[in-house]
Amino acid sequence: MKAFSLLPLTFSRNRKLGVGERKGGYDLPLHKSAGSHFLVLLVGLMSFLAMMALSATMVLGGVTQHWSSGLKNKVTIEIPAQKPGGLLRSAAEIKELALSVEALLKANPNIKALHILEENDIHDLVSPWLGDDVVLDELPLPGLVSAELHVRDKDKLESIGKALTEIASDIRLDTHESWLEDILRLAGTLKLSTLIVTLIIGATTIVAIAGAIRSRMAEHKADIELLHLMGASDLYITKQLQRHAVVLTLKGALIGVLSGLVILLMLSAFGGSGEGATIPGMHLSASQIIILLLLPGLIALIASQTARVTVLRVLGQMP
Amino acid sequence: MIKFEHVGLRYGVGPEVLSDINFTLEPGSFHFLTGPSGAGKTSLMTLMYLGRKPTRGLVSMFEQNINDMSRAQLGALRQKIGVVFQEFRLLPHLSAFDNVALPMRITGHSESEVKSNVDELLEWVGLGDYKNALPLTLSGGQQQRVAIARAVIARPKLLLADEPTGNLDDDIGFRLMHLFEQLNRMGTTIVIATHSQYIMERFGHPRLVLEDGRLYMHDNANWVQKNIEGVY
Ligand SMILES: Nc1ncnc2c1ncn2[C@@H]1O[C@H](COP(=O)(O)OP(=O)(O)O)[C@@H](O)[C@H]1O
Ligand SMILES: [Mg+2]
Repeated sequence: MKAFSLLPLTFSRNRKLGVGERKGGYDLPLHKSAGSHFLVLLVGLMSFLAMMALSATMVLGGVTQHWSSGLKNKVTIEIPAQKPGGLLRSAAEIKELALSVEALLKANPNIKALHILEENDIHDLVSPWLGDDVVLDELPLPGLVSAELHVRDKDKLESIGKALTEIASDIRLDTHESWLEDILRLAGTLKLSTLIVTLIIGATTIVAIAGAIRSRMAEHKADIELLHLMGASDLYITKQLQRHAVVLTLKGALIGVLSGLVILLMLSAFGGSGEGATIPGMHLSASQIIILLLLPGLIALIASQTARVTVLRVLGQMP
Repeated sequence: MIKFEHVGLRYGVGPEVLSDINFTLEPGSFHFLTGPSGAGKTSLMTLMYLGRKPTRGLVSMFEQNINDMSRAQLGALRQKIGVVFQEFRLLPHLSAFDNVALPMRITGHSESEVKSNVDELLEWVGLGDYKNALPLTLSGGQQQRVAIARAVIARPKLLLADEPTGNLDDDIGFRLMHLFEQLNRMGTTIVIATHSQYIMERFGHPRLVLEDGRLYMHDNANWVQKNIEGVY
């Protein structure tokens, strides 16, 4: 009997062509699959959008916090320029009333700070509407006292309001409640819509990954069946496809999130944000940026689980 | 080891390819499975390596009814079966080495074990120089040897080979038959589907003969019809 080593070698030793390389522990040639680029691109785009939606939510949260904390504990007391009877109050009258208001409030332990608005304060307030060259002397102006509270409490506010009407029946306490609530409601709606957008992005990503895994499995159906027939556990097969999905989505998500971060930094650089500005700019704290940078990990986790469920479902159809 | 009781198989709505198959193979036995082309040899093998479930009847493997087994148990059972497929079914993108290594990797052997075992076996089947070659660059006979090496690498308890010597010269065929006999002496139960009268006579193991979807036993001395009771 001839030894095997003596068999004629019919195959020319071309070591480049036809040499098999098993890449990174994969039994299936997943890295070669067409359509991988598409998934990377799609995940990149989706993570970019998710990042934008998420940072919009964060910025919005910052804005509403800024507004509500700025206004929440402030009230304004208005002494109308016109008496209930229709007669105008003189500046001196208004001044006097303002001082009594001040005296009343100073005695209240819940008042943190008090400020009677002078003519130039009022000028600043009305000039955006009436123009800079308005001569205030000719206008009947109300008296305004702004007060800052320690705690906002409905009952306490009501009792202050009542005490004020004892000074003059038409003195009003403006708690800014209604428009503050409107703004907060608007911000809440915006937040909810960005949340919904984020959820849609997430669902789209899951569907795309599941579809990609399914087509990958269809592409390599014969090979997967063979592994199954050799007794490969579902886990053994699943792990390979899961790893494939994680690698692709991590690639895409990193691209998406990093480019998103660049855009955000640019926006915050150009957006500007003074401390006292009514609308703070695109400003994200370090912890918020860290959360955004965790996004790729989260997306990879979603991809991994999606791949797992998809593969197990397909494998479940094999005997 | 294997027990078939009133087993029938049909593909889709086609006719029964196998009908009322009854046989028992003892552990450590060595059988040839023969019969004309299209008689259902490959189909019967498919049932034995659990590639399909029968459309009727009972199949027991390793003394256990396969219908009572969980998915994980079936997987573990498949790991104990080595199969040489008629059409080889090598993974086309994996080298000869990685194809042969598959069963060891699936059962979680370390890479160093994999390397030494696979290298040795490939050397033994005369493919030491083709470790890194892709299947498509190998000749039919070479591919067949890769397929055989893959079937035996994990020392299966049951080896099913579907016409494993079909593409081989007689002397290589004999050498592989000796490998199968050696495995058999070490306790592996073996079923080999073959056409070759020459090999069956040379090695003289009992035969399972398929004809018209029915199975007959032939122990070289006399034909025994195993399906006498198979009156519907
Ligand atoms: N996957 C299949 N689908 C439908 N019919 C099949 C399939 N495999 C085999 N057959 C049919 O079953 C019969 C037996 O085939 P097979 O088991 O391959 O026989 P053998 O291996 O003895 O040549 C043939 O008529 C063949 O056409
Ligand atoms: Mg066949």
